[in-house]
Amino acid sequence: CFCCLRGNNNCAEPGCSVLRQFRCSPASAKSQPEHVRFVNDNDTKKTKSLVTQEDLFEQVAKESKTKATFNQVIDVFTKRDIRRRGHVEFIYAALKKMPEFGVERDLTVYNKLLDVFPKEVFVPRNFIQRMFNHYPRQQECGVQVLEQMESYGIMPNIETKVLLVQIFGEKSHPIRKYQRIMYWFPKFKHVNPFPIPQPLPEDAVDLAVLSLTRIANDLDAKTTVYQLPFTDITESGEEISFPHIVGIQSPNQMELLAKHNPNRPVFVEGPFPLWLKKTCVYYYILRADPTPPEEKEEEVYDPERCFYYPLQLDLDLDRDLGDEENFDVDDLDEGPVFAMCMTSRGDQTTLNQWISGLQQNNPILGRIPTLFRLDAGTRELEGVADTEAGHSHRPHPQSQREDGPPAEDPEVAVEEEKPRRSQGMKQ
Amino acid sequence: MSLPTISRVPASGLLRSIRDLRWLLRSIAPLATPRRALTQMGYRRPGQPREDKPPWWRVKFDLSKGLKGMKRHFTLLKEEFFAQFIGPMGKPIIEHMLEQNQVLWEFRGPHSLQEWTISCDREIGGKSEIYLKVGRNNETCLLYGTLCSDPPKDGETRYSGYCTMRAKQPLASFDRKRYHDWSSFNTLHLRIRGDGRPWMINVIAETYYTHQKDDMYSYFLYTRGGPYWQDVKIPFSKFFLAHRGRVQDDQHELWLDKINAIGFTLGDKADGPFQLEIDFIGVCKDYAHTEDFAYEKYKRNPEV
Repeated sequence: CFCCLRGNNNCAEPGCSVLRQFRCSPASAKSQPEHVRFVNDNDTKKTKSLVTQEDLFEQVAKESKTKATFNQVIDVFTKRDIRRRGHVEFIYAALKKMPEFGVERDLTVYNKLLDVFPKEVFVPRNFIQRMFNHYPRQQECGVQVLEQMESYGIMPNIETKVLLVQIFGEKSHPIRKYQRIMYWFPKFKHVNPFPIPQPLPEDAVDLAVLSLTRIANDLDAKTTVYQLPFTDITESGEEISFPHIVGIQSPNQMELLAKHNPNRPVFVEGPFPLWLKKTCVYYYILRADPTPPEEKEEEVYDPERCFYYPLQLDLDLDRDLGDEENFDVDDLDEGPVFAMCMTSRGDQTTLNQWISGLQQNNPILGRIPTLFRLDAGTRELEGVADTEAGHSHRPHPQSQREDGPPAEDPEVAVEEEKPRRSQGMKQ
Repeated sequence: MSLPTISRVPASGLLRSIRDLRWLLRSIAPLATPRRALTQMGYRRPGQPREDKPPWWRVKFDLSKGLKGMKRHFTLLKEEFFAQFIGPMGKPIIEHMLEQNQVLWEFRGPHSLQEWTISCDREIGGKSEIYLKVGRNNETCLLYGTLCSDPPKDGETRYSGYCTMRAKQPLASFDRKRYHDWSSFNTLHLRIRGDGRPWMINVIAETYYTHQKDDMYSYFLYTRGGPYWQDVKIPFSKFFLAHRGRVQDDQHELWLDKINAIGFTLGDKADGPFQLEIDFIGVCKDYAHTEDFAYEKYKRNPEV
């Protein structure tokens, strides 16, 4: 109850059965005191050498690094001394060791760590103490705990607030930092217009479907899994693993591909990087160069396609400078993108499989020459000026590639550049 | 470019050595993207020796450069003088009042890269890299590089791993500061193609006091990734005030009448290569957006 949180040991409120130890929070009273190993307690008494607070963690780290062992270390420290001598250094050491033990995103561990501070000692009791930054080292330590929570994006909860109020009082720096976190975090939590589900799907095919729907920019786009990953044993006994191939294409892209001139080639380009939080996946695209202006034909709207409203209006609107809504830039024409795919191994054979899978829905692909431009490193889409007889050399700071002359096959012209680095999917 | 240590040289000898260095300087590619050298003498990396050179040693005396500079400055002065007769900001007044969109930076050709400065945490001893180049067909710009968030081992720095691109301060004749005036607009419009990484847009406005020097108004730029271009519209009321990366308590809206620069920062802690392609950056007036400011203004001593 509130009165217990405020500090009354003997609570007169009916029904309140929480009993607090002196200068401890009710939270620790709830849990049973476990039997804690006193690690190396006898040894340290014999040898009088300088022992840092990190030693406790390092001793435990030799065995196993889990949340349970981390909590055990904190318990050892708290049970060791009622006055919690050296708690500031201990908390700094614990903050540093948290990523090793894998508990940096766990709010309960942070609350347990804040529990190490003795309660009510650092609360200022008169106006002079309030003026002069009471117990600055401890306040700075509390602020650092909250800062580590903030940098990992963990939202504190009511238990954190209660602990901070008990430890530092109400107008202290850690409480101000807590208030800042509680103000700004909810404001920026949903500010991403393309949110990524957390946790990411572990299955590679699901991840590929998620990322392809993300980059497709079209809600009508359909993903197709052309091949699931499997391993095959050949006659000689070797195991060959086949990668997954997931492709996406929208009806608009299918229309564009159907209208494509079969004399002009299409290009399979890749791999392009796509970052999802901390994972980088790679995708390949099928695109063509923009049609030169002489070959562009005007799309004639058939008025019978839609009877509800006219598809083409020829109005003479009186628009002046104040109604100009478009920017005065030239439109970039980079050529249509027909389909995208993701696969864990981006070599010639896999992408060929993708193209043949696409061919089932787009029969025109059988007649169009397909050129492969597979490259390693950071890339942007190839430009019109680069494609004449062959591929021109694009200066690249990390790797330099020479281009071979393309083969002019009517079916599938294969023109491959050997990737400099292996195309693994970086998970 | 630092001069070699010459302790006691007569003045003629000094000029001779500077002239010799000039030939060396000419061999370096002239159109390299400008980088900030040592953060303009503001930040000194811990452990680096202090530079004891007198300030005039940093200036490079060169006659042809001086003449070109004079020509440029006087041309600008003449343009400014005659621009007053056309209207405010050099545009006719009806255009200045009614225009709804203005393209500020569009990347068409290598000359557009000269207006931008790139920087990364290599300045403080980190391991990231950043490069800026023109996209294919001279039509976009590509900002790419590698991010590495290992902090430098100098005992002071705790976090690291950032890459930025910042527009240079627009200059009038004789290197006077000129400001962008966006008071008739209320939305920032960008056309970009990223790789899924979250960037941060910073707008630096002109301030009065020196301790407001590092004040920045920031907002997030989330990229979708993929081969399609992304139009991003951010109203100026969403920008929050931050000083040296720390969000401030008392917030106020971004005043648009004197803007110095705009910048992009990448600081998500994902190590690896990144790239961002920008087509153009413009401002527009969105009549449907009526919000003044998105965050509460300062309340001293809020209740706990």
